[in-house]
Amino acid sequence: MAIAVKLDDLLHERRMTLTELADRVGITLANLSILKTGKARAVRFSTLEAICAALSCQPGDLLEYLPDIAEEAQAA
Amino acid sequence: MSRHYSAALPIAHVVLRILIVLNWLGGAAILVLLAAMIVAEEWTLTALGIDSSDPIRPVLMGLRAIAVLGLVAVPLNDLVLRRLRAIVETVHAGDPFVAANADRLQAIAWSLLALQLLSMAIGAIGEAISRPADPLHLDAGFSISGWLAVLLTFILARIFAEGARMRDDLQGTV
Repeated sequence: MAIAVKLDDLLHERRMTLTELADRVGITLANLSILKTGKARAVRFSTLEAICAALSCQPGDLLEYLPDIAEEAQAA
Repeated sequence: MSRHYSAALPIAHVVLRILIVLNWLGGAAILVLLAAMIVAEEWTLTALGIDSSDPIRPVLMGLRAIAVLGLVAVPLNDLVLRRLRAIVETVHAGDPFVAANADRLQAIAWSLLALQLLSMAIGAIGEAISRPADPLHLDAGFSISGWLAVLLTFILARIFAEGARMRDDLQGTV
């Protein structure tokens, strides 16, 4: 997947644990873990909104497009 | 509504198990009949109520062919029943929209198609060997409802494949 989730970096910057975030946004720890490890196939706008509100960030701070990986995936 | 479901599933499971056994018992009976038609021709025809004083060769060959086709139908029926039982089990487990069920329905559809072709072949043989003196009434031949079931099963298999894909997507959504 050429979309990287930078949740780990944001949590580190905010000095917040994944469990605390899960409590604040009302999303299960398991689902947040799926998102953090880049295993999620899709993210709901409501999830994105809740995380951005809890971490005081923009969606762009959370997600990053990696063109190199996209090209490698296309070549394969 | 849910009470109907909870009762229907165990009933379906038991009925399917019984049908699987009955199918093989029917197959064994056909095999015995086929063996009897080879070993004791006249005795078998008399037992079936067919006048053996007339030229019986075509009738006998036809009946043997029908028995062989009947035997071919046994594993096909078994495939349909076992796959259906597996689908019922996934419904019972609460997760029927899986790719395996789409494959199972596809296999059932092909088996039903083969069974319809067998039925038509058996019906045609029955027509050919039926004589005014010994009319042969077989529950076989072209069936609109049978072909409709084939079509419906192919469509259902496609719906299940699509449903399984959507379910898969949903499971990866956070």
